[in-house]
Amino acid sequence: MPIRVLIVDDHPSFRSLARRLLVDEGFDVVGEAGDGRGALQAAGELRPDLVLLDVQLPDVDGFGVAAALAGQPSPPEVVLVSSRSRADYGQRVGSSGTRGFIAKAELSGALLRQLLTGGRTAS
Amino acid sequence: MRPPGRRGRAAVAAAGLAAGAGAGVALLWGGYDVPAALAAPTLVLNLAVGWSFIGIGLLAWSRHPDNRTGPLMVVLGFAVLGRFAVAVASDVGFAVGVLLGSLYLSVFVHLLVTFPTGRAGTRLQRGTVVAGYLLATPLDAVFLLLGATRGAPAGLPPNGLVIVPATAGSPDPVDVVVQVVVLALCGAVLAIVWGRWRRAGTAERRAIGPGLLGGVLVVLALMAQRSAFVVGIHPDVRVVFTWAARVVLVVWPLALLFGLVRSRLDRSAVSRMIVELGAGPPGSERLREVLVATLHDPTVQVAYWLSERGRFVDAAGDPVPVEPPGPGRAVTYLERAGSRIAALTHDAALAGEPELVEAVAAGAGMALENERLHAEVRARLREVQASRARIVESADAARRRVERDLHDGAQQRLVNVALLLRMAQGRLSSRALDEVDALLRETADELAGALEELRELARGIYPALLTDCGLGPALTALAERSSVPAVVTAAPPGRLPAALEHAAYFVVSEGLANAAKHSAAGEVRIDVRVADGVLVVEIADDGVGGANLDGGGLRGLVDRLAAAGGRLRLTSPAGGGTRLIAELPIGATGAGAPAPLPRAAADPTRAAAAAT
Repeated sequence: MPIRVLIVDDHPSFRSLARRLLVDEGFDVVGEAGDGRGALQAAGELRPDLVLLDVQLPDVDGFGVAAALAGQPSPPEVVLVSSRSRADYGQRVGSSGTRGFIAKAELSGALLRQLLTGGRTAS
Repeated sequence: MRPPGRRGRAAVAAAGLAAGAGAGVALLWGGYDVPAALAAPTLVLNLAVGWSFIGIGLLAWSRHPDNRTGPLMVVLGFAVLGRFAVAVASDVGFAVGVLLGSLYLSVFVHLLVTFPTGRAGTRLQRGTVVAGYLLATPLDAVFLLLGATRGAPAGLPPNGLVIVPATAGSPDPVDVVVQVVVLALCGAVLAIVWGRWRRAGTAERRAIGPGLLGGVLVVLALMAQRSAFVVGIHPDVRVVFTWAARVVLVVWPLALLFGLVRSRLDRSAVSRMIVELGAGPPGSERLREVLVATLHDPTVQVAYWLSERGRFVDAAGDPVPVEPPGPGRAVTYLERAGSRIAALTHDAALAGEPELVEAVAAGAGMALENERLHAEVRARLREVQASRARIVESADAARRRVERDLHDGAQQRLVNVALLLRMAQGRLSSRALDEVDALLRETADELAGALEELRELARGIYPALLTDCGLGPALTALAERSSVPAVVTAAPPGRLPAALEHAAYFVVSEGLANAAKHSAAGEVRIDVRVADGVLVVEIADDGVGGANLDGGGLRGLVDRLAAAGGRLRLTSPAGGGTRLIAELPIGATGAGAPAPLPRAAADPTRAAAAAT
């Protein structure tokens, strides 16, 4: 069964390209959201396996959204993405309770699967 | 009521003298047999009271023409002397004397209750004044019609003109009732005086203190006299109270005279103030202390006028409101050599002593001007400090903006390029060449977009066209890129000092950005010209107006222009468009007149740009 993904990013062009790329690589993209509140609502309604979550969102940042998602019953896995590098966020990624972090330019299905199956590592 | 002139005053004074002489004649030769031992003190005491009220009343009237205290004092003096009509042993003399018998007390109540203006302001004041008059002539008229003789001892004029012990016996019940009413009236008078005193500030208390104190003494003496009558104290003792009430009546005009003389003494204190200002250490606090001491008003506040900014500041240079001064306060504006320098906010009582305040202003003029200059320097320093803080803030905000623009713009497009290339790579392995071709086209578009965004960003940081070709071409390009239709109607035909060109460019850039964001304008006109050594940049739109200089962008412009010695003016009435005018002195940057423009960049103006 394909992994069901919710893409959360405030840039429509990135959401669109990420959707095409992940679909190409066998994922099932079940929805998109442009901000933190939309992400929480969509996650509650769509029950995805994975949330691809941008760190810089216009309302709540990705760390805040990840913490709120973790509080939901049977929470989805979360992978953080950003056009910045992981080093720009210091220790916050490690302590965020997410599956890991992928720089947007390096997003690929293989890397996502590696994060989901190989434990909490990040690029 | 207009005050009498010099002739009028002389006539009133002559009438007063004549009334006094008439009183003497009536007492000594009016037909009654008054012993010399009683006639002399009666005459001396009443002449002293009558003439002092008339004389001091005339003086007060001429000094304060709008104040009714002076004319009331004159009336009181004549009322005292008019009582002597009763000493003429005839029906007419008796009638006139009885009718005028208590009038002076009514005028006294009127005077004290309305002191120091002579005008009854409150309902209580008016009621007390009216009650005072009703208890005098009208009541005396009733007694007269009823044939009352007031029981004068044989051989003496009636109506108590000459003070002698009354015959022992029970007092007339009607008289007791009248005296109780008089006592109640005296209580009301004291209550009014107490309220007046309580409301007054220090300076006002100093002004009205002697008058109120003297008046209260008279009222207390009257109350003692009337109480003695009501409770039935022996007539031999009561007569002492009666004499005391008459004697203290002389005190009051003297107290009023003291009040008048003291304000003149205060003015002589101005010369001491000038000496103190010259001798003491300089400083705004010292200046205020000397003003407080000279004006006898501890609430005096000095505000210094900054004509360039069109506002008052305190000694520290902080803006302070001067108008309205608040209840019980008044403002006096001080000028020096025809220019406003300061404003004194003080107790409203000092407004009645304009000569004193003016003398103080003249005497302290140099010290005030000196402190004004200090305050101006402090105000400038505060503005510079605030401006410096804003410049730092503005630089931080600009850096944040560049980071955000890069993140949302070029960086995002480059991310897209990376994703597209990764997808194309995937298609290559499956040999879907058509799809690879489409993905590469998308990649090229994203790269072109990233380049354009980087160019725009670079222009925002610093416009290369401005550095290379000058203000005219740079403004034309700016107008062409504007999202609101913009036209450059004039630009200076030459190069200006770089700092001026940059400041002018950013004024136009910010003006256009504001117009695009807030004005809903159909067109923006940009007019830049040099006039009288000043570069004037004007941006006018036909939008909704309502802009103000506190907006972040315009506030930053104010600071930028201030750094170049210029200023920014904004006219933006609601619904009337917005006109932003920046003025930059060309000499302020150390440069001379504009240099000739290179031929290649000549005639950059008259370029209009359509909306994009």
